[in-house]
Amino acid sequence: MASLKLEHVKKVYDKNVVAVHDFNLEIKDKEFIVFVGPSGCGKSTTLRMIAGLEDISDGTLTIGDRVVNDVEPKDRDIAMVFQNYALYPHITVYENMAFSLRLRKMSNEEVHRRVCQAAEILGITEYLARKPKNLSGGQRQRVAIGRAIVREPQVFLMDEPLSNLDAKLRNQMRAEIILLRKRIDTTFIYVTHDQTEAMTLGDRIVIMKDGYIQQVGTPQEVFETPRNLFVAGFIGSPQMNFLKAKLVKASDGYQAELYGIKVPLSEEKCAKLAKKGVGSQDVILGVRPEHTMLSFDGNANTIEGTLRVNEMMGSELHLHVDLADGTSVILRIPTLELTEAQRASLAYGSKLRFTFPEKVAQLFDPKSEESLLF
Amino acid sequence: MAEKNTLAAQPKLRSKKGHERRTNGTIYTVLTIMSIIWLVPFVFLVLQSFRSYKLEKGGMVDYLLPKHFSLDNYAFLFEGSNFFSWCGKAILVGLIVAAAATLLIHLCGKALDKREGEDKGARILMIGGSLLVAFAALVALTAALQGFALAGKAGTLLIALALFMLVGFLMAKVYLKQDSKLLRSIPGYVVEDKHEGAKKLCTLALEFLVLSIIIQHMLAPMTASQYVRWYINTLTIALFTAVLQTAIVLSVSYALSRLRFKGRKLIMNSVLVLGLFPGFLTMITLYFLLKQLGLTQANAVPGLILIYCASSGMGYYISKGFFDTIPKSLDESARIDGATRFQVFLKIIMPLAKPIVIYTVLMAFMAPWGDYVFASYVAFGDPKGYNVAVGLYNWVNTNDFQNYFTRFCAGGVLVAVPITALFLALQKYYVEGVTGGAVKG
Repeated sequence: MASLKLEHVKKVYDKNVVAVHDFNLEIKDKEFIVFVGPSGCGKSTTLRMIAGLEDISDGTLTIGDRVVNDVEPKDRDIAMVFQNYALYPHITVYENMAFSLRLRKMSNEEVHRRVCQAAEILGITEYLARKPKNLSGGQRQRVAIGRAIVREPQVFLMDEPLSNLDAKLRNQMRAEIILLRKRIDTTFIYVTHDQTEAMTLGDRIVIMKDGYIQQVGTPQEVFETPRNLFVAGFIGSPQMNFLKAKLVKASDGYQAELYGIKVPLSEEKCAKLAKKGVGSQDVILGVRPEHTMLSFDGNANTIEGTLRVNEMMGSELHLHVDLADGTSVILRIPTLELTEAQRASLAYGSKLRFTFPEKVAQLFDPKSEESLLF
Repeated sequence: MAEKNTLAAQPKLRSKKGHERRTNGTIYTVLTIMSIIWLVPFVFLVLQSFRSYKLEKGGMVDYLLPKHFSLDNYAFLFEGSNFFSWCGKAILVGLIVAAAATLLIHLCGKALDKREGEDKGARILMIGGSLLVAFAALVALTAALQGFALAGKAGTLLIALALFMLVGFLMAKVYLKQDSKLLRSIPGYVVEDKHEGAKKLCTLALEFLVLSIIIQHMLAPMTASQYVRWYINTLTIALFTAVLQTAIVLSVSYALSRLRFKGRKLIMNSVLVLGLFPGFLTMITLYFLLKQLGLTQANAVPGLILIYCASSGMGYYISKGFFDTIPKSLDESARIDGATRFQVFLKIIMPLAKPIVIYTVLMAFMAPWGDYVFASYVAFGDPKGYNVAVGLYNWVNTNDFQNYFTRFCAGGVLVAVPITALFLALQKYYVEGVTGGAVKG
């Protein structure tokens, strides 16, 4: 139960490899923060610096109102769940969970009370007498979480806790973490490379790349208003389509032109662009696959493409479409909205037309890769 | 078609089997011959040790089997020593004390279990009280058996008391923690390790037995013959070296495996290069250094312990390799859980590295046990400081070597017994230790 403050935190490994550049973030008390990014982006390093497992090369880290740069991990009052569980193999689940409490010289009764309580929350009471090697992956993960919650720590750190589980178990554990979070209301920092986990778990998401923070925001913010091309591409699955377009400035506003269609932009967007002083220029227009619509009525203001792959996902179709200039886009079309005839027409190599609503379009500068609407 | 194929394949299979049998036969024959050749000297040595030095001639005889099997040689080794009666007494006292103390602690634990939640002071009082009673019993028993004037031994007694209380208290604590009522309330607790309680009690009893013998030794040291003295010297050197060297080797390996400090690579490389020089290059220097410290001749035992332990950190390779295979996240997890580096080492790494610990102890014990080179020059000229190897060599290096030869053999057999037993008992760990560094995942 504490707030965290990272100011200008930097990590330099020897031989001058910079893993994290100038990391600034304020984490509120009882907030669930998710660090997300591709591997090697510095998210785990940042977490390990918060845990005290890595030295902080520069900057200050404050937990509560205490600067903890040089505080040993054991004195930071944090708990951490590791990707490979890191359960102590030679002692029982009970002793695994009691380990930290025993080190704190807690009385046997108190240890027992806490361990049993945590075991009950996680549903592992019947495994308490087993050794970790006799547990399944999901059970081990629960024990690892249990070992962290018995301590009632100020900050709860989780380093890709679900990535060793199979897909089904992962979804189940994700839901359990959401429930767990409701029961033990404390500050969480969660590291993952999976944007689904980030979106579903986080109060706020920190998207990182190459040691820099790309964007910090609620899941909705980063989904709807990505700050740059990287964030736009990273959040959402399948990833956002990027189309080459021309931004044309007219007297009454802006419009985007691409593949022979004209998309007049809304007043809100125009105001933002005008405020930035953007003139006519090349832009990259981003549209999420789920925001596209097929057009069967021969409307001329639609983009034409050739269907290359048709993936049937059950409730929806993923259509991989090649445009005239060879750009590949993905369309996500709900199956229910299509008639039998329309579905039948979506054969390999067939021509199709699609469009998208203006309000979902994102505009990016091709050179700086920054969003023009931010 | 298929049937034909199987039919055609059968004779081939049979010939393959025959071939295998022939190969195995050859291998077994060769191995048997080799082991016979290898065993002959040992059998010969054992046989010689049973040939009386009083009735038959010493080394120069033209027959293999002794004409009179006798224990004369062994008797000679213990001549003038009260070894057997001393051991008998020590073990008897030890057993009685161990049984009494263990029972007391067991009952004490049971009583405490029933009053779960009682305050700490009461616990300490109960454990301490029972230990005091156990100690009083020990003193009374020893006094009765030895007929000793205890007044003059106040200092020894005080040390013994401290030792006894310390070990006893630690053991009692462990015992109580493991067998507490709380743990037994967990579903499935009994299933995991049925004999946990019994095992703990056995260890407890063993600790008390050893302790009692140590106290016995402090109160009434045995009178030693020459051979017994050498044997005790060797045992002392080997035990101390085993403990110290293991501690040093394991901590060096752990540090090199886990900590990243400046000069780590340099240390590892220079140790590798230094290790290429044979140890006895430093012999002369070491002798003069020890001489200046007064650790030669009669004081050779501590001097030798110093020599054997001095460079033991250099043998870190195997255990470092083993530690490297234990995931680092275990260390990290324990450190976040609140353990210091030392606690991580002791509570997490040591239990996981059991094979390598045993391997290291075994190696550290065996080297000084059979060493001749260092022992011969550090103790040079004073039989009080000899170890068994040097002492026995001096027997067959005298003018009367003929006569001493069978006694030499008997001495050799007695030296071989403990190390053989140790090796057979710990063979499993030895193999795990040798291969563990490379394979264990």
